[in-house]
Amino acid sequence: MFGWGRQRSAPPERTSPATGGRVGIEATLLKYIFRRIILLIPILFGVTIIVFGIMFLTPGDAAILMLGENAPQAELEALRERLGLNEPAYVQYGIWLGRVVQLDFGRSIRSGRPVTREVMARLPATIELALLATLLSIAIGVPLGVLSATRPNSAVDHVATVAAFGGLAMPVFWQGLVLILVFAVALGWLPPSGRLGGWQYYILPVITLGTSAIAAITRMTRATMLETLSQDYVRTARSKGVHPRSMIYRHALRNAMIPIVTVIGLQFGQLLSGAVITETIFSWPGIGRLAVDSIRSKDFPTVQGVVMVFALLYALVNLFTDVLYAYLDPRLKTRYS
Amino acid sequence: MRRVLLLIAVAAFALGGAHAFTLTVAATSDAVSLSPHDTNDQPSARVMRQIYDTLIVQNEELELEPGLAESWTQIDDLTWEFAIRSGVVFHNGDPLTAADVVFTLNSLRDPAVAAPGAFILGFVDTVEAVDELTVRVTTGTPFAPILSHLAHTATSILSEQVVTDAGEDYGTEVVVGTGPFKFVEWEIASQIILERNDDWWGGDVLPERVIFRPITEGTVRAIELEAGAVDIAFELNTSPRDAMRAIENPNLIVTQQPTLSTAYVGFNFQKEPFDDVRVRQAINHAVDVEPMIDAILEGFGSVATSPISDMVFGAHTDLEPYDYDPERARQLLAEAGYPDGFSTSLWTNDNPIRIQIAEIMQAQLGEVGIDVDVQVLEWSTYLADTAAGAHDMFILGWVTVTGDADYGLYALFHSSNFGSAGNRTFWSNPRVDELLDLGRTEADPDLRVEYYLEVQEIIAEEAPWVFLYLTLEVNGTQPNVSGFVPHPAGHHRLYNVSKN
Repeated sequence: MFGWGRQRSAPPERTSPATGGRVGIEATLLKYIFRRIILLIPILFGVTIIVFGIMFLTPGDAAILMLGENAPQAELEALRERLGLNEPAYVQYGIWLGRVVQLDFGRSIRSGRPVTREVMARLPATIELALLATLLSIAIGVPLGVLSATRPNSAVDHVATVAAFGGLAMPVFWQGLVLILVFAVALGWLPPSGRLGGWQYYILPVITLGTSAIAAITRMTRATMLETLSQDYVRTARSKGVHPRSMIYRHALRNAMIPIVTVIGLQFGQLLSGAVITETIFSWPGIGRLAVDSIRSKDFPTVQGVVMVFALLYALVNLFTDVLYAYLDPRLKTRYS
Repeated sequence: MRRVLLLIAVAAFALGGAHAFTLTVAATSDAVSLSPHDTNDQPSARVMRQIYDTLIVQNEELELEPGLAESWTQIDDLTWEFAIRSGVVFHNGDPLTAADVVFTLNSLRDPAVAAPGAFILGFVDTVEAVDELTVRVTTGTPFAPILSHLAHTATSILSEQVVTDAGEDYGTEVVVGTGPFKFVEWEIASQIILERNDDWWGGDVLPERVIFRPITEGTVRAIELEAGAVDIAFELNTSPRDAMRAIENPNLIVTQQPTLSTAYVGFNFQKEPFDDVRVRQAINHAVDVEPMIDAILEGFGSVATSPISDMVFGAHTDLEPYDYDPERARQLLAEAGYPDGFSTSLWTNDNPIRIQIAEIMQAQLGEVGIDVDVQVLEWSTYLADTAAGAHDMFILGWVTVTGDADYGLYALFHSSNFGSAGNRTFWSNPRVDELLDLGRTEADPDLRVEYYLEVQEIIAEEAPWVFLYLTLEVNGTQPNVSGFVPHPAGHHRLYNVSKN
């Protein structure tokens, strides 16, 4: 039964519903997307409350950090007064929320810049890096996984497996520094760090950030492809004399794609928010550093801004992945109504 | 001598004809703000030093020279007058007047502004303009170190008009000073670009452009220098191994510069057994600082024998350190009633060098029977909890930025500064309080030195601290860079740096 379903869904043109039905399904899909976007509001609200709570439960505040080791009591009080830190936590949160509803995210306590400016100045650098790293990991991970799965236990498979585990196990800071030492210092081909324009600046950070994702995607592709290749419909296709390449890429890979897309989506989310170490090593002006710096300096308007952007991006990537499922497996479309 | 060499270099340069060059500097972190009233952190001060001027300039030898104040006179114990240099213009073309100076200093100490550097002017009573180019400052009590305080980057002179017009955008979008370089552009977390101010009152400015690139990892700053991507790299000593490699590299010039910064372990006098001088002295005898400097700092430091660096005015350079003598330590502990030692804790913030220091100290104190639990705290918690007196022992550092003993001793040892203001040991000694007050108000420099020497002798004897080490700052430049003279306070001036 299951095999039959899979087989039916394999060639997309044959499973496409009639034109009228397609419009209906597209409409329900749109409605689904809209509902998910509306759902984001309570999610973001919840996230900000949790973040605010955590920041206020930990001792110390932004004023003490700005004044450092030499902070006479009167000056601490004056600074707290100016920053509004003397109000009870719920009042501070209320004031902040009241502004956010009017799309005013306030100013950074530390730098005095508008939070939107702080975030928007760094967001492009992070998205570029995460996007390129994801593309790189797909471009290498998927073919490598397929190659391994179609030749299980061959030399290629063993090499790919070892490389993948190596990629997962390698600490990012170590890998980044080794890459810099080899390509920037010893060979002098690429700049060591920074994002000062030019494609040369992207290569090392993208490889560093993408390595673990390549490994994860390779492993997942191999596992699901192995499972799919053992399905009845693949054997049927093979026995009908379908060209092996067409069989692998059109029939098997398409059906194996759902778990792979899930991993890619998760990896992309992780690359967006987890790039702090890569950003630090390569002096990359991304949002990960901003997150760490603002948490360390208890700059709560900036922390809230960064966390909301992370939550939003995560939710959008999840939504995108879910919608992609519908295109990969038309049976799922009917469930969105 | 260095000055003469510099002059020769500059003259040779002028004869050879100016050539335009950009100086790229690897900084330790991005600036927080370029408004001296919004922040008091070192990476920001390093950029501000190039953009702004102060009334008084403290040169690399820590001598005080005229800055925007051409001259000054002390009218009486409490009153000073500063003659503002005429013909100075801000980067936007407006002339500098006494009103700008009055605005700047009053804004810095205004509780509503709540500037992190306000304490620098804590001694000031009033600031007013006498005429277009004369400013009068009065102090509540006589304040001897006034001139070195007016050389601090926090007191950089701003344009009243520009600051008022820019409002909250001042310091990030709008930055205007009178200094050797003009602010051009700030790509957040990526680079700050400055360009030469051809109208600078101080003379020729050699670099056409200066670019500050924030590179937080010491290892990467060293690599950028090795790869030739930056001309100057600051503070390689934060990653001692990389600093060593840079020093061994024949293609780089690496300088080691004594600083005004000192590291110490403080005891909490509000807790037993640290209220007993024998226990504090025992710990001083049980700690050996040399191996810490060798193993952790790769030698980039020297053993401290006083709470302030040797370069500071009023520093006691003849104090004998406590010799490393575990036997004597055990004996002192036994006399204090702890023949088998005791259990305690040592706090540090999450700074890798301090954590390693704490671990070595834990092992050394274990030798004399003191069981130390090392606790690593996040910085804001650390500051708050040590200010509240929740600790037993703690590791901290201090930079005597003004180069005057008052700055390095008053906040840390006067009993009026318990807690967050700086005295986190809660040590109180009436004679020390008296001497510190005298040192602050006495005009005669020789008498001041006498007071400070006595204070340091009492501190060494009473041992509220374990003196750890004085930090060496390691900076590197490319071989074609000349004229870079590091400043002991860390904000190095770049207008005189040239590049072939």
